[in-house]
Amino acid sequence: MSADRAAVSGAPRALRARVVERVELSARYFLLRLARPDDMPDPLPGQFIHVDPPGADRFFLRRPFSIHDCDGETFELLVVEAGVGSRRLRTLSSGDPLAFYGPLGGGTFPPPDGRRVLAVGGGVGLAPLFFYGARVAGGFRGAYRLVYGARTREDLFLDAIDLAGRGVELATDDGSFGRPGSAVDAARELLERDGADVLFSCGPTPMMRAVEALAREAGVAHLASLENRMACALGACRACVVPTRRDGADRYATVCHDGPVFDGRVLDWDALPRP
Amino acid sequence: MNALATKIGPVTFANPVFLASGVVGYAEEYSPLIDLRRLGGVVTKTITVRPRAGNPPPRIQELPFGLLNSIGLENVGLERYVAEKLPRLRELDVAVVVSVAAATEDEFRRVADALAPGDGLKGVELNLSCPNVEDEALDLGRDPRFVERATRIVRDALPDVSVWVKVTPNVTDVGEVACAAESGGADAVSAINTLVGMDFDLDTGRPVFARGGAGYSGPAILPVALRKVWECARAVSIPVVGIGGISSVEDARKMFLAGAHAIQVGTALYRDPALAERIVDALAEHPEWARPGGKPR
Repeated sequence: MSADRAAVSGAPRALRARVVERVELSARYFLLRLARPDDMPDPLPGQFIHVDPPGADRFFLRRPFSIHDCDGETFELLVVEAGVGSRRLRTLSSGDPLAFYGPLGGGTFPPPDGRRVLAVGGGVGLAPLFFYGARVAGGFRGAYRLVYGARTREDLFLDAIDLAGRGVELATDDGSFGRPGSAVDAARELLERDGADVLFSCGPTPMMRAVEALAREAGVAHLASLENRMACALGACRACVVPTRRDGADRYATVCHDGPVFDGRVLDWDALPRP
Repeated sequence: MNALATKIGPVTFANPVFLASGVVGYAEEYSPLIDLRRLGGVVTKTITVRPRAGNPPPRIQELPFGLLNSIGLENVGLERYVAEKLPRLRELDVAVVVSVAAATEDEFRRVADALAPGDGLKGVELNLSCPNVEDEALDLGRDPRFVERATRIVRDALPDVSVWVKVTPNVTDVGEVACAAESGGADAVSAINTLVGMDFDLDTGRPVFARGGAGYSGPAILPVALRKVWECARAVSIPVVGIGGISSVEDARKMFLAGAHAIQVGTALYRDPALAERIVDALAEHPEWARPGGKPR
């Protein structure tokens, strides 16, 4: 199983959306629900939009955000407050405009097509994996299973997103909810018990590296959705590259255009920048 | 008659607004967001004779007043550029200025021989000043004798193409390098390339970029660029293409006042892809804003 190419979803467009609501999830996390512009192409799981955070000068790059959910009327971004861009997004409220272009990203999570998929997520890596369950796989209890890990109960968004009620397996580092320990440990148990044909991952690099190791042990495929700082987000500027196992002039691949979803075997995991 | 028509050597461009090399790749990537046909042209990402992988990540760092980059001339190489990128740009009907870097006079000959005029190819910009490569030979833009010889090779091989030489600001006297380009037969001097900068990661105590240095661009360098363009415009009688930190119509106007015949927009496009078209619109309404040094074109 390899990452899907997203050519079918049409060219990215420069768009503007109104904020429907900002949903506070925890001290660090919030959701932005936006009215979907009529001419916004259908996004695929793993695709993202390149956002121009509101506010004035002294700001040169847009910020990429993975689509967390999307239907005909609205779409959602899951944001963790990590710097000036996300702080500005947290000032938005209902009715505010947000400029972006997208959907972007050439490599996406393909539909299950009869395979059993086990996904492992952490942090804002929830976004594409939630989108996949909610809109592609028909939920989280059948062919698609998701394990989501957080440091503590607070960052599982129990009230606002109700991952537990949807059938997502939850794990916390401090044992305050769900299975104590890491999402990868929980995924390993599920894999040994129920099996899977392919692993998905999206989250911190060490977590995804551990999922890659698990996939190799188990002899199953692994598709990982990466993030990186981006400038153009269109494959032009070559700023957001990650190292692959290819040699020579093809060594680097862009997260924005070749990814964000990559076949784990393609990446040079040892050379990925530390977060 | 088109008041913004901009003649640079043997070629007349529709207007004096171009996209700077590196920022928009081979241009087609930006075609969904920018109407490239409305511009004077696009300077495509620098190519070298052989493909290059570029530098290990991280490759960019956003700072409060500008952007550091260390891409390292990643490119598909001359052969694939001619076979794949140029035909695509021809389909898009874009006026193309191809940016090239080479380490030796022989390589410049090979590049010039591979690039035929026509096919949408209107110009060549010699990038003699990339700060982000190990290979010292690719950073020969400080040596006026080399600049003159390299320019002469390309000039003689491509008489019908507009030949621009992009100069580095990282020299004491930018005018000296500009004069060398003029002596070599250049049609224009492009000024400036990025400033060499650096940043440190306080968590690790080490430089952010593997190579240490990186190219600094964005609004911070506009005043430096204005001054260097002003110096170049006084040193040579060929046109100067002003580049560096243009983020608004007002910035563009200042670049013309400094003596530029044409301008290139770069880093600001990352946040504001519509900027170049907005500048074209503003100049169409006020052609007098595009007068080099405020004098009639």
